[in-house]
Amino acid sequence: MMEKKLNRRNFIKSSAVAGGAFVLSFSMPWGNKLMAEPAKVHEMNAFLKIAKDGTITIMAKNPEIGQGVKTSLPMIIAEELCADWRKINVVQADLDSKYGPQGAGGSTAINRHWKPLRKVGATAREMLLEAAAKKWGIDKKLCYAENGTIKNKKNRKKLSFGELAETAAQVPVPKDPALKPDKDFNLVGSFKTGVDNQNLVQGKVTYGLDAQPKNMVYAMIERSPVFGGTVASYNEAEAKKVKGVLNVIAIKEGSTTQSVAIIAKNTWAAIKARKVLKVKWDTKGNEKHSSDSYDKAFKAAVAKDNKNLRNDGDVDKAFKEANKVLEATYEVPFATHAPMEPMNCTVLVTKDRCEIWAPTQSPGRAASIAKKITGLKAAQIQVHMLRSGGGFGRRSNGDFVKETVYLANELKQPVKLVWTREDDNRFGFYRPASMHKVKAALDKEGRLSAWKIQCAGASVAKFFSPKLAPHRFDIYPDNFPAQFIPNFQMQYTAVDTYMPLWFWRAPGHNTTAFVDQSFLDELAHAAKKDPLKFRLELLGSNNKDYQYKGHGGPTFNNARIRGVLELAAKKAGWGKKMPKGSAQGIAVHFTFGTYTALVADVSVDKEGYVKVHKVVAAVDCGKVVNMSGAKAQIEGGIIDGLSTMMNAEITLKNGAVQQSNFHDYKLLRIKDAPDVEVHFVKSDKDPQGLGEMSLPPLAPAVGNAIFSATGKRVRKLPLKDMKV
Amino acid sequence: MAAYTLHVNNKKLKVEAEADTPLLWVLRDELNLTGTKFGCGKALCGACTVHLNGNPVRSCSMPIAAVRNAKITTIEGVAQGNTLHAVQQAWIDEDVPQCGYCQSGQIMSAVALLSKNSKPTDADIDAAMSGNICRCGTYVRIRKAIHRAAKAMN
Repeated sequence: MMEKKLNRRNFIKSSAVAGGAFVLSFSMPWGNKLMAEPAKVHEMNAFLKIAKDGTITIMAKNPEIGQGVKTSLPMIIAEELCADWRKINVVQADLDSKYGPQGAGGSTAINRHWKPLRKVGATAREMLLEAAAKKWGIDKKLCYAENGTIKNKKNRKKLSFGELAETAAQVPVPKDPALKPDKDFNLVGSFKTGVDNQNLVQGKVTYGLDAQPKNMVYAMIERSPVFGGTVASYNEAEAKKVKGVLNVIAIKEGSTTQSVAIIAKNTWAAIKARKVLKVKWDTKGNEKHSSDSYDKAFKAAVAKDNKNLRNDGDVDKAFKEANKVLEATYEVPFATHAPMEPMNCTVLVTKDRCEIWAPTQSPGRAASIAKKITGLKAAQIQVHMLRSGGGFGRRSNGDFVKETVYLANELKQPVKLVWTREDDNRFGFYRPASMHKVKAALDKEGRLSAWKIQCAGASVAKFFSPKLAPHRFDIYPDNFPAQFIPNFQMQYTAVDTYMPLWFWRAPGHNTTAFVDQSFLDELAHAAKKDPLKFRLELLGSNNKDYQYKGHGGPTFNNARIRGVLELAAKKAGWGKKMPKGSAQGIAVHFTFGTYTALVADVSVDKEGYVKVHKVVAAVDCGKVVNMSGAKAQIEGGIIDGLSTMMNAEITLKNGAVQQSNFHDYKLLRIKDAPDVEVHFVKSDKDPQGLGEMSLPPLAPAVGNAIFSATGKRVRKLPLKDMKV
Repeated sequence: MAAYTLHVNNKKLKVEAEADTPLLWVLRDELNLTGTKFGCGKALCGACTVHLNGNPVRSCSMPIAAVRNAKITTIEGVAQGNTLHAVQQAWIDEDVPQCGYCQSGQIMSAVALLSKNSKPTDADIDAAMSGNICRCGTYVRIRKAIHRAAKAMN
């Protein structure tokens, strides 16, 4: 297939192609923002093919990690094209600058692609209309597009997109095609099942771990269990004796051996050889690190004042004048991503080419890693984004790609690196642990007059780049209830830990929502007010945009927070009579442009075991693109939130992670999964992402319900084995 | 190395492997049947579930020498030609998969459940399916899909 970029300034160009296929290729101004960095203008170049038989091929530009973009993004194109969804074939794109930035992170796919992809579809539709008008010798205004055909308004004649494709390719490209009004949407807002489902249920989808290029060998790596350790010596000869072992390779940085790789004919031989391989590690005294010592450091940090991230009014004065003052400390542990598919990567390096098959959220990072290691030019590096068995942020790191490219560069034959589950848990990049000391004041009317929060934690931003403000991915100074309380103070201390850190589903939000929404509940009870009414009162009855400098901004709106709270409460029957030991809890959070409120129905038995029966979600994400995918993300976030609340904890002892597999890093199972009901607020606003939105408010909704049921306040996660 | 003849998805397949090799790695690395997934290697997550004589087993913890003459069914062998099993169809209709990685194992466990219990309750589903972890949290839809498949089969 040939595609040609005729003019990079224009957003669409077309070229006729051998075989009668109509190829549209697009390059358009593309706003790309990473976590609210100032907008950099990139160009996008997605493309769309229409075959003579009417089959439409749409390239899926971003990696599919379970967030459903392989279905929802093509739906946006197909909507404006007025295509027959059943005739659309979605093909996963490789990494290529013609598509613009490619990646998965920050729940950004839908909001960043909504307008550009509509234009992609609308431009093609206008060209097909023009082609039909030409053929019929009539005015274009007398033609309209519907379900894969162009129809003549006067005589009801019609031509299929396939029949028009060739002519359409010759017509001038419209500069500013009209977009459909919302009322004409057929696909957007409908329930569409995943485009890979048919193959997926038959085991026919190729995930990262399923890559099998010819002559491939298998690799596993023995890494220092103590972070930062390097190899002192190892018994290479013994490991090589294991049947099926082909090679043992030292992975070096400079002259230091970092880790040892087994290269084998198959996975099992590599696993067996690892058991034989004995490595002596130079741990450099790093055994002294343990997460217990971090708890002490967090405590010490929140005990004293630090620089203010936010300081409204005069909190000290307000505390002195308060009718009631509450103080509490909340704690959240390290957590790992634990996607079902462990880290893996397959790479071939030859003298003039590098081919990467990776389950990655960041194909661009994979390519730059390969460039650095192999010394090849960008054009010689090809990255195939294979479907990923979950991501949750983990696969935006490039560590597993780096290891594989290193080995492939040594071997000059295709190699698949496989991580075991134990590797995956022990050599992760973790959600930071943190401690939050919160203090708030109520006035005589039971209204919040002051709020002071001091957070100390491991900092993702500091781990990621020394240039960033350390609090950046861990606490958000504009977050509700800030700006709603006259006296408000926020402080953050980045505590140096030995843990590798990374973005973990709803970074920062997964923790701050638990703290803020649980403590608000404490205050509501202290004020003897209904927790829903307390929040509504705090939000005010006006409709106002508030500043939000973090990712998902630039503003958030109080009426939209109220809207989801009221909808969730209504649908869940908030305030209904519950049996003894049962109660409802409510929480709300604004994340990355979307508002989510949850009501959890919870019971606690005599032994203290918690059962979450039902969670009702109300979500305001603007318009919904794919109703099925949208609900799935909210359902999944709720289950993930509960799983994380109940069990997720990574601890460090003697410099090493203590958890290894699903027996000691437990994930929620179906027997503990509540019913979930999802409601969307009807909205004509542009759609926002959904992948990370329902997880943050889950823990406080459940924690608040537990308090109402038992009087016990959940201030430390996880609740091991669902027990309070 | 020993030679084994395996009955996989109604075909006899010859393979050479060490006797202690888990069936999972024989299927994936030697027979190119990659629909069966590796998740934990310790029979804790169910991603590798296949049927041995119709019973669900965790192939990551089943040495090939122990398989003997048992009839193995993998996810690739669940459909009859082009006709999907009712469970597979229900998985599509309820749009169960998110990342989809665990779903081969989920479907194998669900097919086995419905072959023994044509009208499972939620409690039956919890009992039969709790060995299969879904990290994306598709449990809500898995329950619905199993009820839907049960209806279609009855």
